[in-house]
Amino acid sequence: METEATVSEFQEMLSERGVTRRDFMKLCGAVAVAAGLTELAAPQVAQALESSVIGATKGNLYPVIWIEGASCTGCTESFAQADAPDPATVVLEMISLNYCETLSAAAGWSMEEAKEQTIEAGNYILVYEGGVLKNWGGQALRVANETGTDILVHAAEKANAVVALGSCAVNGGWMAAHPNPSNALGVQQYLKEAGVETPVINVPGCPANPEWLVAILVDVVLMQRLPALNGENKPSVIYDQTIHDNCQRRGHFENGEFVYEFGSPEEAMGYCLYPLGCRGPQTKSNCGIVRWNHRRSWCVESGAPCIGCCEANPMNPGQNWVEVNTPFYKRHRDLRVGDFVFQPGTVALIVTAVVAGALIVHGFGMKVSGRMDGGADFEKKRAWDAKHPDKSIGKYDDDDAKGGQE
Amino acid sequence: MTRSIIDPITRIEGHLRVEMEVTNGKVSEAWVSGGCFRGMELVVQDRTPEDAAQIVQRICGVCPVSHAHSSAIAGEHAYGIKISNNARIIRNLLEGAQFLHSHILWFYNLAALDYVNPINALKADPADAYDLALAAGTSTNSDFVALKERLAKFADNGQMSIFSGAWFEADKGQAYKLDPELDLICTAHYLEALQMQAKASEVAGLLGGKMPHVMTLVPGGTMWVPTEEKLDDLWALVNEIYNWVESTMIPDTLAIAPAYADALNWGKGVGRYIAWGVFENENMEMNDRYLPAGVLDEKLNLSDVEESMITEYMGHSWYKGDETYTSPYFVTEPEFTEYYKEGTDTVSDRYTWVKCPAYDGKPAEAGGLSRVLVAYKRNVPFIVEQVNAFTAALGIQLGQAQSTLGRTAVRQIETLYIAGLMKEWVQELMEAVKGGDSEYFRKPETITGSGTGFWEAPRGALYHHEDVENGKIKGYQIIIPSTWNLAPHDAQGNNGPMEEALIGVPVEDIEMPINALRTVHSFDPCTACAVHVTEPATGKSFKTVTSPWGVK
Repeated sequence: METEATVSEFQEMLSERGVTRRDFMKLCGAVAVAAGLTELAAPQVAQALESSVIGATKGNLYPVIWIEGASCTGCTESFAQADAPDPATVVLEMISLNYCETLSAAAGWSMEEAKEQTIEAGNYILVYEGGVLKNWGGQALRVANETGTDILVHAAEKANAVVALGSCAVNGGWMAAHPNPSNALGVQQYLKEAGVETPVINVPGCPANPEWLVAILVDVVLMQRLPALNGENKPSVIYDQTIHDNCQRRGHFENGEFVYEFGSPEEAMGYCLYPLGCRGPQTKSNCGIVRWNHRRSWCVESGAPCIGCCEANPMNPGQNWVEVNTPFYKRHRDLRVGDFVFQPGTVALIVTAVVAGALIVHGFGMKVSGRMDGGADFEKKRAWDAKHPDKSIGKYDDDDAKGGQE
Repeated sequence: MTRSIIDPITRIEGHLRVEMEVTNGKVSEAWVSGGCFRGMELVVQDRTPEDAAQIVQRICGVCPVSHAHSSAIAGEHAYGIKISNNARIIRNLLEGAQFLHSHILWFYNLAALDYVNPINALKADPADAYDLALAAGTSTNSDFVALKERLAKFADNGQMSIFSGAWFEADKGQAYKLDPELDLICTAHYLEALQMQAKASEVAGLLGGKMPHVMTLVPGGTMWVPTEEKLDDLWALVNEIYNWVESTMIPDTLAIAPAYADALNWGKGVGRYIAWGVFENENMEMNDRYLPAGVLDEKLNLSDVEESMITEYMGHSWYKGDETYTSPYFVTEPEFTEYYKEGTDTVSDRYTWVKCPAYDGKPAEAGGLSRVLVAYKRNVPFIVEQVNAFTAALGIQLGQAQSTLGRTAVRQIETLYIAGLMKEWVQELMEAVKGGDSEYFRKPETITGSGTGFWEAPRGALYHHEDVENGKIKGYQIIIPSTWNLAPHDAQGNNGPMEEALIGVPVEDIEMPINALRTVHSFDPCTACAVHVTEPATGKSFKTVTSPWGVK
């Protein structure tokens, strides 16, 4: 590359500002080390690029193709917030991210070429972000004059594994919520329909927490294995427990100390958000342990009830987090019959009933989670209520009241 | 005449195609096509305004706070709520954190790779780079020697990762014009920016639980309560970000700009600008926001915003019919037809999922340039002072800011302005808390009504409107900044703003039209935002939900 003209411009710029070139011999020792490497590296890169836009097809980095389907780019954005390793370390020292619509320097045909060459070379992971849209023969999503569905199948066929990143990729996410106008569904279901047998790792969340993706990359890249998955192909270590299991406000739940209004003094004391609709008891993920944005906070810590954004049945777009959990700040979802929507016979606003209900919901959640085979012996009357009959919040029938904890 | 196509456009949010006719080395015709339809407005139908403020964030993972904010404002107008002073300040901080995150990420990690070649930095002398950084008055936080070594190790391995297929050799190797030392400095700042955008997101995470898609912004105010342990984190983070922005972004812009001065000569859009305003002042007036609302005509004459002047036209997009609707409205139906006319390579009359909005019957540009020009015309002191200093430093007139380079550069002024405001708002919040004000959330006065949320996303003017009956949404309309900028031809055949900006852009190599890419990136387009739809709730089939309970 010709740089003479610009070099003189900079020299001019330096002198204009009254700065002479300092004696950079001070830095010489360190420079020499770097220079030795550079002389080696630069011709190699040039040589590799002559035959291929992705450079070497083999090396220390694990090839990755990251495709955005019908996405909001939120999961890529979320990846950019990864804490340790940080995103620069991931793309320079762990993986060769050969195709990523948001981060790649390339554009247009050479971008598509990079994808093709990566597929051709094989031994790569596909990260797929966003929903799969079937409407108009897949034309609801068009990239490089191809449909989103064809692009997915082509890239998935030869991949070692597909990471369906975020709730949209797992089952269509909010796009699949009624009336699902673009006919959205998840990667696993679509690939099954298309006869592609590449293993799918489902990582729901809106967005997916970057630490989850990085953990999977560590499994694949550094430990050369796929993470242990549960029955829905979700990594067990992330998705086999509920938010409630690990919640920092759990003690207040047990004590019957609740927040009943946003931004209230109870919130300042960090009480439990259950009466405001928190979906922690039925939503499975480890948000409260991993936390978000360099571990700075997470939803419940900031005063917001969990809205269950990790809820995603990979084989049923109808069971997406928006449809299952709205209205978010009520305890029960709306019932939809045809065009008619209503809130079921509501106990939601009656405080005492809500708290009594909490136990049932809680126990039910634990049974569903399968960690209490044969049904749990959970308390019929809360221990705290039994000890403090004058302040008891739960409502019990007579037998339970007599029995207390059985 | 030759055809040049960039599809996919990368380093943006969402899916975008640009097709250009090139005549005598310049773009003579352009078609900008948004590639994805998802159907947001239909999904929020029959849900609550509180739900909507959460769901609409999923339009865009880069500017979710703006969508939540605009939706909450619409909800508050429908509900008859005026938010508390504390909620106003906290929401400004949350919005500001997102703007800082977005602007830092966009400038360094998305747009800069059109100007900076990290591979060329391998040829740099780190000691010279240090001198140059001092001379340019930009920050020297990074160890240039260690960085060069890191890049060399990367290059030595030979796999190109995110640089696969880069256009660094475009225009016969002449497209990237920086000295290797400046490439090294800017690569260092690219990596620092990755950290700083995350730092800004950390502020959003602190105030909103997580980012993207914050949790605490709700019609009525905020769920977040500032305890001392949260306030000290907030104070420290905001100061750290300000210091980096102040020492790095404008100096870098001024260092890069001289090598690309040519880009001041092209890339002007339609020359009309809209800004709905962002960051509420105590009086909550649109024209008195920290970045105020306003509309500028071809002569940059200022007028106030009127909702009834906003229309949308469907005739060149993949929707049924070719009417023009006045906002707010809730009718249109998606229908894909074709991109090319069958059997030809002629672009069809309908060629995009993006609709065509107009203000006073004409296309208009939204974004950082629009906001800064409007703020300048409304005499916001910081903006006037900085814009004057900036144009003087570059030796240009204000009019030349209406160009690819100008549009790219002025956003750094806005970034510095917001970084400074964040510090003020933290002080303001501390004073309020100290004074005993503890009101963060207000309940609805009524649950039936309608409201509009005029607001700004980092990418420009954002509009949400909702009709609410008994607490449920009966009609929702969104017009998003990139819909303005990526608009297709209008009914009279006039180009949309980005199409118009592309006309006249020099293209040396139709395989790698780097100047067109620079022009597209100057708008910071976001097609994830731009495509969505409304329609009447008729003729759809529904499934009955099996379990009404939140628990399965």
